[in-house]
Amino acid sequence: MFDLAFSNLHEILDMNGHGIYVWSVYALGISMIVISFSIAKKRIAGIQKKIKINNASS
Amino acid sequence: MISAFIHKFSSPKSYVRLTEKLYPFFIVLGVSLLTLGWIWGLLFAPQDAVQGNSYRIIFLHVPSVIFAELIYFFMAICALMHLVWRVKLAAYLIKAAAPIGAMITFLGLFSGSIWGIPTWGTWWQWDARITSTLILFIMYLGVITLHGSFSNLIKADRLMSILVIIGVINIPIIKKSVDWWSTLHQPASISISGGSSIDPSMLYPLLISIIGLGFTLISLGILSSRSYIFTREKNKKWIAEHV
Amino acid sequence: MVRLIKSEIFKLLKKLKSWLGPLLIMILVLIAFPLSIDISQFDLDKFYFSIIVVSILMTSFVATEGMFEEDFEDGSLEQEFLLEKDFYKLALAKIFVFVFLIGIPLALIGAIFSFANGVAFNSFAKVFLILSLSNLLLFNVFAFGNALSINKGAMLGVLSSLPLALPVIILLGSSIRTIQYGDGFISIIALMIGIGLLMSALMPLIISAALKTHID
Repeated sequence: MFDLAFSNLHEILDMNGHGIYVWSVYALGISMIVISFSIAKKRIAGIQKKIKINNASS
Repeated sequence: MISAFIHKFSSPKSYVRLTEKLYPFFIVLGVSLLTLGWIWGLLFAPQDAVQGNSYRIIFLHVPSVIFAELIYFFMAICALMHLVWRVKLAAYLIKAAAPIGAMITFLGLFSGSIWGIPTWGTWWQWDARITSTLILFIMYLGVITLHGSFSNLIKADRLMSILVIIGVINIPIIKKSVDWWSTLHQPASISISGGSSIDPSMLYPLLISIIGLGFTLISLGILSSRSYIFTREKNKKWIAEHV
Repeated sequence: MVRLIKSEIFKLLKKLKSWLGPLLIMILVLIAFPLSIDISQFDLDKFYFSIIVVSILMTSFVATEGMFEEDFEDGSLEQEFLLEKDFYKLALAKIFVFVFLIGIPLALIGAIFSFANGVAFNSFAKVFLILSLSNLLLFNVFAFGNALSINKGAMLGVLSSLPLALPVIILLGSSIRTIQYGDGFISIIALMIGIGLLMSALMPLIISAALKTHID
């Protein structure tokens, strides 16, 4: 169960012709998740800044 | 008495405090399990006898469609809490969860579509499951658009909750009717290895990916809901200690 | 209740142009479709009915657009709330009037065109019945979408109503097979009547809850 199913990097990327499908899906998936996390983090940072400014001025 | 209990534990303040503690745990667990599941599935699991290597999309596709529906059910429970017990936090959670649900539904549709190219030779098929997932995606868009159209946020919260509850009642109706419709035309067949059971060497990475994606999405939801809570409650005193 | 029905009829007749237009568009589409394809290549009676179904869907959406908008904007919703404390009767009356004044003519036009195109030769009455019942369902769904989106425009109305309208469309589209193949008509009609009654009783409750949110 724990042997590598492929023998070299080229095989991993190619996956017997199916590589483009598999990797494009995972690339999109990973990038969507990463981008949503960064958007969420930016939003929190922005809100926190705003609230700090508000509290400092009031 | 129930309503007092609910109101004690569902204030935005206690939610923010609780999630602040849980977030590091969830994100680490989620990302590591997801990475483990995907590396195992992509590199170590054996080739499928029928589909070759394209079946490896399953480790993203199946978790995505599972959570596409689970997130909607979560939103429905929150909508119920908002409408019946007037829990404000529940509406904030719906608003935070909807874009995540839409994204994961889109991922499910996209991954399934790409998987279909080597498997069925076509990137789209009008069968029951695919069509109901597409309609689910439209329902998420409806919820997001509805809340965004109203400047009176309290009104928007209530309308959004009504739409979510009607939508969740609609999900089984759509599944049954699209299933009935597609069996009138052609049978749907999505199988991994021609049989109905899945080999353990593929099942374990799949389960790990599902749990990993779940915790990752929960962490994303925590981040998203915290920022929304800060936006909505920014004039309250307790906010200052959390910023 | 009678007062409400009368006032809804009056309001709808005042806006004659806004729904006569969609009716005429439907007629045009149903005429234009056979003109746009090669009739010798295709068995028209096999899929003409789906054109009728899609035209009914679009026409009824356009005809019911802004169902509650005027009432919301000129304050009659608030007045109604003061009188009845609830919008159940208003929603029921409105849907009832819309189905009778717009839905039935749509079903008639659809049935005439299906009859004329060989979809169901000897079953004009059956087709008319099926189309009228599905119009009842569709108008309930669109009334719900309009109650949510009130004056925010078509896009929101579509996104809110479409997921509910699709099962109705599936039901309608499959129902023609029962007529064409002579089998199971009574069961489909019974199903439609049952769902129709259930929806007509429950939808106004939900619409009422949505409308109450708007005037709060």
